[in-house]
Amino acid sequence: MSAGRVDSSAELVMRACRGDTGAFEDLYRQHVGRVYGLCLRMTGQPESAEDLTQDTFVSAWRSLPGYEGRSSFSTWLHRIAVNAVLAKRRSPQGRNEVSMTDELGEQMEFEADAPMDEATPIDIERAISGLPPGARDIVVLHGIYGYSHEEAAEMLGVAVGTCKAQLHRARHLMRARMGEERAT
Amino acid sequence: MNTIPFGPRNPPEDPLLAKAAELPKDVAPARDLWPGIAARLGEAEKPAARSFRWPLALAAGVLVASVSALLTWSLTRSPDVPAPNTRIAQATPTAAPTEVVPVKYGPNSGLSAKDFGARDELLRQFRGKFADLKPETRAAIVKNLEIMQQAANEIDAALAKDPASGMLKGMLVGTYKQELQLYSTVVTSSDGLTRRI
Repeated sequence: MSAGRVDSSAELVMRACRGDTGAFEDLYRQHVGRVYGLCLRMTGQPESAEDLTQDTFVSAWRSLPGYEGRSSFSTWLHRIAVNAVLAKRRSPQGRNEVSMTDELGEQMEFEADAPMDEATPIDIERAISGLPPGARDIVVLHGIYGYSHEEAAEMLGVAVGTCKAQLHRARHLMRARMGEERAT
Repeated sequence: MNTIPFGPRNPPEDPLLAKAAELPKDVAPARDLWPGIAARLGEAEKPAARSFRWPLALAAGVLVASVSALLTWSLTRSPDVPAPNTRIAQATPTAAPTEVVPVKYGPNSGLSAKDFGARDELLRQFRGKFADLKPETRAAIVKNLEIMQQAANEIDAALAKDPASGMLKGMLVGTYKQELQLYSTVVTSSDGLTRRI
């Protein structure tokens, strides 16, 4: 954000709606970390995450007139980001990209690196990035960013039950990865 | 606006999820992504263009729609029928004009020479009857044409900023049709519109 500026998101959004790109840049500065963080964790690929972050903000710029303030601006932005990630995954380009796959996820069930109590944030991040996409999505949205199962399900376009099942699976895979099963 | 921050609403009981919840929400990208975004914003339509053009154009549209009601009243009323509830300026009988100025459409109207030719032919017939209309009817027509002109001007200005807008083009054509309808009503009407001698 520009020096000396303490504008709230609401004020910045209103100014951006009037075509003020400076205000929109301030919004970008406020929110880019979370948007990029979400994209990076959902894709596991920094380069894709950068592209998706840019796509997210461009889409947000186009869609600002439709933003009604029913959810926080951050949540609204995250929905756009999730849509961008899912759309890329469905695209031919996204399908061809090398990523952590279910295959690797299954493989991790037999690995055991470190006891849970000693797990560092890097261990957690690594375990999350190694999850298959569906399980990873729900851990990112629910586990890291705190969305409810209902919100995450809506964002991902799946049933709430699917989210819960994916989270269960993710926890199992992560525990295996981090050695909890062996430790206990 | 709701500005509830991110974060778990209830701390997760699962220690694994608790650790995940403690991870930093923000991750800084390796490079500044803004220049790339800013370059693409130029390609995208500015949100302001959409959000502020529509009220202007809609206001013009309301004027055009109101013309019809007043015109109908002007041309068909009997002396004891009150005017419809409209904000359009009432004609002043004492200042009855003897000539009309057709609506001028701006460069963004998209109307063709054929459209203007059709209007000119109808206008020629209209002018032949205009002088015979009752003074208050003539005054009402001139007032209504002024309102149509205002609507056309505002829609044309909005079209200059948003040339691809189908809605604006539709409203402009609507204004044009209203003008033609006005002339046509006079041309095809005979009883009750002309001066009683």
